[in-house]
Amino acid sequence: MPEGILCNKTPIKTEEQLKLTLADKGGKQYYEELNNLDVDSDKLWASIQATMKSRTKTWLEICAHCGLCAESCFLYQVNGRVPEQVPSYKIQSTLGVMVKKKGKVDNAFMQMCMETAWAKCTCCNRCGMYCPHGIDMGVMFSYLRGLLYSQGFVPWELKIGAGMHRVYRAQMDVTTEDWVETCEWMAEENEEEWPGLEIPIDKEDADIMYTCNAREPKHYPEDVAEAAILFHVAGENWTVPSEGWEQTSLSMFAGDWECCKDNVLNVYSAIERLRPKRAIGTECGHAHRATVIEGPYWAGREDGQPPVPYIHYVEWLAEALRTGKLKIDPAKRIKEPVTLQDSCNYVRNQGLKNVTREILSYIVEPGYFVEMSPSKEHNYCCGGGGGFNGIGMYRAQRNMALRKKMEQILATGCKLVIAPCHNCWDAIRDLEEEYKIGIRWSFLKPLVIGMLDVPEHLRPKDEGEDE
Amino acid sequence: MFKKILLATSGAPSTFGAARVAFDMGKRYGAEVLVLNVMGVPTKAYSQVVNDVRTGEEVEVDEEYRAWVEEELKNTFEKQIESVEYSRIILTTGLPHREILRAARENDADLIVMGASSGDSSVYRKGYPGSTLQRVAKAARCPVMTVHRETASYWGGFGNIVFATDFSKQAESAFKFALATARELDTDLTILHALDISGKVLDQNEIEDRIIAARERIRTAYDLDGFKNCDVEVWEGVPYVEIVKMARERSADLIVMAHHSHELDPEKARIGSTMEQVILRAGCPVVSVSKPDKV
Repeated sequence: MPEGILCNKTPIKTEEQLKLTLADKGGKQYYEELNNLDVDSDKLWASIQATMKSRTKTWLEICAHCGLCAESCFLYQVNGRVPEQVPSYKIQSTLGVMVKKKGKVDNAFMQMCMETAWAKCTCCNRCGMYCPHGIDMGVMFSYLRGLLYSQGFVPWELKIGAGMHRVYRAQMDVTTEDWVETCEWMAEENEEEWPGLEIPIDKEDADIMYTCNAREPKHYPEDVAEAAILFHVAGENWTVPSEGWEQTSLSMFAGDWECCKDNVLNVYSAIERLRPKRAIGTECGHAHRATVIEGPYWAGREDGQPPVPYIHYVEWLAEALRTGKLKIDPAKRIKEPVTLQDSCNYVRNQGLKNVTREILSYIVEPGYFVEMSPSKEHNYCCGGGGGFNGIGMYRAQRNMALRKKMEQILATGCKLVIAPCHNCWDAIRDLEEEYKIGIRWSFLKPLVIGMLDVPEHLRPKDEGEDE
Repeated sequence: MFKKILLATSGAPSTFGAARVAFDMGKRYGAEVLVLNVMGVPTKAYSQVVNDVRTGEEVEVDEEYRAWVEEELKNTFEKQIESVEYSRIILTTGLPHREILRAARENDADLIVMGASSGDSSVYRKGYPGSTLQRVAKAARCPVMTVHRETASYWGGFGNIVFATDFSKQAESAFKFALATARELDTDLTILHALDISGKVLDQNEIEDRIIAARERIRTAYDLDGFKNCDVEVWEGVPYVEIVKMARERSADLIVMAHHSHELDPEKARIGSTMEQVILRAGCPVVSVSKPDKV
């Protein structure tokens, strides 16, 4: 049973192994080893028997192969509408066959499954809305990813991503010290412009505990500062935990179930330690799915809920604008055609479609908001969901996948796209880089800060030049 | 006063002027020169790929790449590195403005020295609009020196400093920096206020009254604390033109100004048009000060 040094069935659990895998530029050795990786059929079948629940069994059985899911899949649409891209075909030819063969499959089959699970499905769950039986291929692909991961068949970047979560409890190498230091830095950098601004760390019994995405402290800590500024202006009693601040879960994309559970328990333990009234996550879709929608089940919580109400950033922002905690200067509202990217993970999967539109009603001059078509829960994936954005081996397929979003954006005629989701934001950024259609894209935080009507007592004294 | 100088460079010729000044200062004042190079800008979500800052090509930074970049920098600045007693190369990846600020903070730098423009084709701008300089100047705790024109870097130490004030709060910090530098390095100091009359037709008496008022204001606002080699000037006109003219007339080798832009949108917040124009036109390094910490 040959297992590679880098590509094997064991998750990355140590910093040493993580660095070793990272040093394998582009996963060259990793993918070579993948070609020789054996399938442990007994273990695979045992795993299927132990984890495949009645819903998945039923779905695999009752699929009528009617093909009505085909048009629902944006990857089918942008890839020449070939039968191989029909969702039901994609899942039946992978998970379906794996189950039929009781796990007795070979390396080539597993590699085909790997490509299908990570390059032909973003787990956007749109097909589930169009299947007459309500079969959700995205859910099943998430499950398939778990089976593949347990056998070592996972793209290099996601093996690393899950490893990062295991080693650093964050998707990037941001340690607790780095995080705390970044919070102090951001408070310091902005305290002059926002007198009294603080980023309180580990404050107990606050009204809000804020969690974010490790890419923020790592590459754009402005985002952390912007969150702080908006909480500060809104007068919120808030905090960030020193541990358990990372809300994302590349382990979910990778199918590393054990790590998924560890991620979310880490966040929940921060909640239990600090006892906030509620928790709020950043403008990220999959992080919300991982901690709020699926997380409670991974953590084994019987009520299916996080320990305290845990809301998405857009829910807090809408509330703050609605209740007047944050006020918009009407003169500074967006006065150009602007469109909105609905994130699959909290719009289709949690129904927050009206909340984002409520926000837009405050920050966009009436008449300038243009809906994408289709929109809300029917919107298409950005093209980079489910981990697609970060996988080098599937870059060409990912770039092709961006075409649907490009068509949708072009049809709106807008040059500004609001994308309150890290993954969507990245995909749209890459879309511009790849296809150069002349658009700008933004999270909500910087836009809102730019148009705030800041109360007198929160403004810096002795403003600028007096000439 | 200049113990640690952080030179931010892509290694490209547009930063050679900045490098010349930074190393020269290192040599003259015994400062340590930290050569910071942000090798690549992260793209593609959590992937390991970055866009090389020079070529824009997608690369994965590993030890080999790191060693190659370090070698390139050492070759580029070979003579200059040899000329100073202390220097160190710092390599990193990230968004340039953020990594410059991070390195300045981590190393407690006394001064950041950088070029003014990485050029329009730079990957610096890709996806992250706004100039690196503008973002650094806004948030840095220490003064930020910019050397834009090649000619601004052929300089033989500081002898004449022009401090241009707009009487803002940040200008107080800029003044402190200018005075401390003049005192420590024993240079002449000119305090200039450029009375902005651009686009206006004003009565000459009014102009002269305002000049008198501005002179008075300089005298009361800026305490020279016994420093003698200083004179005060108020010139009317278009501010950036007057500042550059004054620098030329005094053969200034340093211009000190305050940076203060609250604008968050980098497309709108050019560094403050006066500052930007002075940087582009000055025949000497320009220092921007926005915070009181390191002055």
